[in-house]
Amino acid sequence: MQEQSVIPQQAESERFDLLIEAGRGEKNYWRDLWRYRELFYFLAWRDILVRYKQTAIGIAWALVRPFLTMLVFTFIFSRVAKLPAPGSVPYALLVFAAMLPWQFFSTALGEASNSLIGNANLISKVYFPRLIVPAGSVITSFVDFLITLGLMAGMMVWYGFLPDWRLLTLPLFTALAFGSAFGAGLWLCALNVRYRDFRYIVPFIVQFGLYLSPVGFSSNIVPERLRLIYACNPMVGVIDGFRWALLRGQSPLAAPELIASILVTSVLCLSGIWYFRRTEKTFADII
Amino acid sequence: MSDIVIRAEALGKRYRISHRRERRGDDSAYDSSPKHEDFWALRDVSFEVKRGEALGIIGRNGAGKSTLFKLLSRITETTEGKASIRGHVASLLEVGTGFHPELTGRENIYLNGSILGMSRAEIRKKFDEIVAFAEIERFLDTPVKRYSSGMYVRLAFSVAAHLEPDILLVDEVLAVGDVAFQRKCMDYMKRLARSGITILLVSHDLFAVKTMCRRVLALSGGRLKFDGLPAEGIDLYEKDSRLEADPWAAGIIGEDIDQWPIIIRFVELLDADGSPRTVYDYGERMRVRIHYESRKPVRHPNFYLGIRRPDNVVCCSFSAARDGATVPTLDRSGVIELLTPPLRLVSDLYSTYAGVWDREFKNLYCGQIGPNFHVRDEVLNQHFGVFHVPGEWRWGVNGHKNIGSGE
Repeated sequence: MQEQSVIPQQAESERFDLLIEAGRGEKNYWRDLWRYRELFYFLAWRDILVRYKQTAIGIAWALVRPFLTMLVFTFIFSRVAKLPAPGSVPYALLVFAAMLPWQFFSTALGEASNSLIGNANLISKVYFPRLIVPAGSVITSFVDFLITLGLMAGMMVWYGFLPDWRLLTLPLFTALAFGSAFGAGLWLCALNVRYRDFRYIVPFIVQFGLYLSPVGFSSNIVPERLRLIYACNPMVGVIDGFRWALLRGQSPLAAPELIASILVTSVLCLSGIWYFRRTEKTFADII
Repeated sequence: MSDIVIRAEALGKRYRISHRRERRGDDSAYDSSPKHEDFWALRDVSFEVKRGEALGIIGRNGAGKSTLFKLLSRITETTEGKASIRGHVASLLEVGTGFHPELTGRENIYLNGSILGMSRAEIRKKFDEIVAFAEIERFLDTPVKRYSSGMYVRLAFSVAAHLEPDILLVDEVLAVGDVAFQRKCMDYMKRLARSGITILLVSHDLFAVKTMCRRVLALSGGRLKFDGLPAEGIDLYEKDSRLEADPWAAGIIGEDIDQWPIIIRFVELLDADGSPRTVYDYGERMRVRIHYESRKPVRHPNFYLGIRRPDNVVCCSFSAARDGATVPTLDRSGVIELLTPPLRLVSDLYSTYAGVWDREFKNLYCGQIGPNFHVRDEVLNQHFGVFHVPGEWRWGVNGHKNIGSGE
């Protein structure tokens, strides 16, 4: 009964759009990513929508949740911890300006690292560039960040402390926060597919990170000689940058530290993409 | 330009199965077997598919059908070989993938559509069509977690079916939904195939494969065993499945002789003259030989034969006791034969199953799946019902003029 079709000699004129072969670095990958660009939006949209389904106050939670978090942290760090504030900046703003990127970074990191596992049924059933999944989680967290940014604006008006031209540099620091969350998230979510240990490691990273980053204090309390090493935590550059940009430069920003943070973030991002691309083909088999 | 849209060349997919090394209790030495074992889910599979072709892929569980689809749809990477594809591939591996239970039908249409590769504009354009096809207009704004499973499946199929890919991979999705919807899906796929979309269909529903496809691939143990006409491929698959049925029966019967005093070894289908058959014409008689082995004397065994349609409707059955036959006490192996009256079943694929009951249909002594067969007729199909028996027709009110009976 063996009756296999005979493959004729491939004609030169034949053009196939797609070649599936072992170990082939797909040249279509970035094109596909572009083709599926709306999926970034839809996955983020889904996550946001789902979060507030069957709640009484609905989308209002998107405002209430970050506001309450801010309130708690501001209270803890300004009333309980009693850390000194530089210049004439209200302490609450000093904390809030740091909480803003930190909150974004930590939720983005947490969500991104669990994103692949959370979408396991999609990964094993449908093809799309997998990069979209962790990226979508970071985007979802970014929406929260924008809402919190609005709260920050409200608080600044409340304290009568308005930013100056430095505010224009804020997108740069936001991009830096985005990049570091995305880079670290790529590493963690890809590792999480194979080693579920990371599900438990990530919450620790986030918890310790809060104390290792200058959220509740100003980074100038760190000894001078350790500053550069300290700035290898990319959030140091981000948080210092946010304070500098939002608080009229009253909180200092040192160029070497910023550069160190940018470098670390770039390395994190590029290596994250490299590792993710290298492992993503096996995701469907091992997830 | 040739019209080949898929060319698979020696495709293979290897999985590593890991085994746990266990301490042996007796000598506390480690098991010397390797920790990893290679398992080829698919190997050396080559074929070509032309534009607009509807290709059926059949094979038992674990034959490699789904693996093949996963390779073609790029969900997982091949281990060896290559495949060239022209056009956009969409796969319906499992309907409802990517549905979120909390979201409404409307939201899920957009979400699922985009996951399957549609743009927002495309979805918006097709939206009404998708809703109408799924017949869920009233429940558009209800979360899908409150949907009945039928509604869920209809919506999911509907979204996927409106993708308009160049190549559509369909895996077992027709096994869901009610019969009416299955029919609708099949009609829709036929329409897609006619419009030039290439369809690859994996199904255990041989009837669906037979009606949809002009060509089948039969896989077995990860290898391509057959590439050609559906009837032949299905035959091969059925032989393959029958091999599977025997151990199943042996397994289920178990050791308890009191509970299973008799075993049906196998069932043969023949024509009235006694030669083996798989295809019957409408109105033909069928001879069935049931080979049994009795492990303990059984008084008045009541042999039974059921004929089932692919959608699991039992169309008719024969029972020795019902038909007025008294089988003597059996205490060894033997054959029992049934000659059916002319079969009035409409043309379709049927499966048989045989069993032995007691006279009162209280205890089932054994059961076994028999072979499948086709009934062939130019006109009579499922639209005419389950079976067709000719009636007598008369003309005029009191019917004084007989204008003939159907025979």
